[in-house]
Amino acid sequence: MTERLKYDAGFAKEIYALENGHYIKKCMQCGMCDVSCATRREMDFSPRELFLLMRAGKREEFFKANTIWMCSTCLMCKVRCPRGVPLVDVMHDLKSHAIGLGYADSPQATFYQAFWQEVMGRGKVFEGGLMARYYLKRGWSEIRKGFEMRDLGMDMVKHSRISLKPPRTIKGIKGMQAVVEKARAQMRKEVGG
Amino acid sequence: MRYSFYPGCSMEGAAVPYLKSLEAVAGALGMGIEEIPDWNCCGATVASGVVGDYPAQVLAARNLALAEPKGLDVLVPCSSCYMNLALVNRKFLEDDHFRAMANDALGAAGLRYNGTLKVRQIIEVLVKDVGLDRIRTKVKKPLTGLRVAGYVGCQTPRVFPWEFDDPEQPVYLDRIIEALGATPVKFPMKARCCGSSHSITRPEITTGSGYSIITCALEDRAQIMVTPCPMCQMNLDAYQGKVRQHHKLEASMPVLFITQLMAVAFDLPPAAWAFKYNIVSPFAALERFGIKP
Ligand code: SF4
Ligand code: SF4
Repeated sequence: MTERLKYDAGFAKEIYALENGHYIKKCMQCGMCDVSCATRREMDFSPRELFLLMRAGKREEFFKANTIWMCSTCLMCKVRCPRGVPLVDVMHDLKSHAIGLGYADSPQATFYQAFWQEVMGRGKVFEGGLMARYYLKRGWSEIRKGFEMRDLGMDMVKHSRISLKPPRTIKGIKGMQAVVEKARAQMRKEVGG
Repeated sequence: MRYSFYPGCSMEGAAVPYLKSLEAVAGALGMGIEEIPDWNCCGATVASGVVGDYPAQVLAARNLALAEPKGLDVLVPCSSCYMNLALVNRKFLEDDHFRAMANDALGAAGLRYNGTLKVRQIIEVLVKDVGLDRIRTKVKKPLTGLRVAGYVGCQTPRVFPWEFDDPEQPVYLDRIIEALGATPVKFPMKARCCGSSHSITRPEITTGSGYSIITCALEDRAQIMVTPCPMCQMNLDAYQGKVRQHHKLEASMPVLFITQLMAVAFDLPPAAWAFKYNIVSPFAALERFGIKP
């Protein structure tokens, strides 16, 4: 980002309204998160730069950047940020907001949604079910990549590390679903979204 | 010493050796662990990225509501499960508005949580409740001279920095390794990220992290690595072959759950070691202690 920044408050407002969005207001652009981040090298923009994009109102670049999807929730930035910005929680908001807006092309977004479907379906995550959902959704290119991992899969099977049958669906699944639905409804009401 | 026990999804899948060794070690130490009835997934690092923090926290809280009638501390071995359950537990304690809202949601299943429990990570329980002295008295086969890299992983020490341990250079795991008679190596990468679920979506990130972490342990002449985290164990053990394909690894590094090494030092039967599940074999490293396949 070498061009001079013009601030545009509209987009920032949208982000500040997210559950943990207001914390970003405290960011002083010190760069501690950049140097601490486990996956900085994989990111199009560092967390700090992402917040700068937001302030500049660069909506498309913001959501198309892979930054939020590269975050592995290692908590290093949250521990180190001198302004107490809980970056991990902000990343959660940004991920779910991005999915809600349809910026969900990345393999990670697919993986996240597949995982969530597993949780809501049986109350637990069955690794086999998760992988099936993920590969079905991603299609051929990813299946080919998955194929390259087949020796790893064979090792896992040989050492009984992959359970071939799913765990029993929890007894209270209906109740659990109702609790989550209720919580989501409360949140929609609270943030007015 | 009785605990409500939250195994988490991984213990029913890839982390079976964790469950087997932990049950045996807990028995030897006189800890009673009682599985939370009908527990559900904690949401891992993923649920909040789909539905946002609040619904994911309420999902995790269902487990605490189910555990509360027993009134026992909740023992959590997995780092992500610990993060989610411990964080939501604190919200119930500190945030009245949150508690009221969340109980309203839990009410949809006839549940309620009053925030009376403590959520405890296994490393902390081993050091603070069980105590290093008690662990030492159970050691029948001191692992003298064994150089061990204690890989804590990223989340466990950083959920509540300093309340639990040093968030960047934690020491509790090393104290347990010492109590077993072994030598913890310095291993400055002991709390760096293993690459987490990138193992599925971008495996080269995970193999890159794995390479740095294993190399760091080898530089300090570690012969074996132990961890309390199911994700770390999987990414470093099962993916080690992939690491080797893409990077030049000097040696192989067996990666055990800490409870597996405890089972060896306590001289428990082989079923408690649960080594048949380990992909990188630990037998060469443990041979001189009479550990054979
Ligand atoms: S460490 Fe905190 S204050 Fe510094 S740039 Fe990152 S978010 Fe902003
Ligand atoms: S929590 Fe995410 S953004 Fe923060 S340092 Fe870790 S990977 Fe980077």
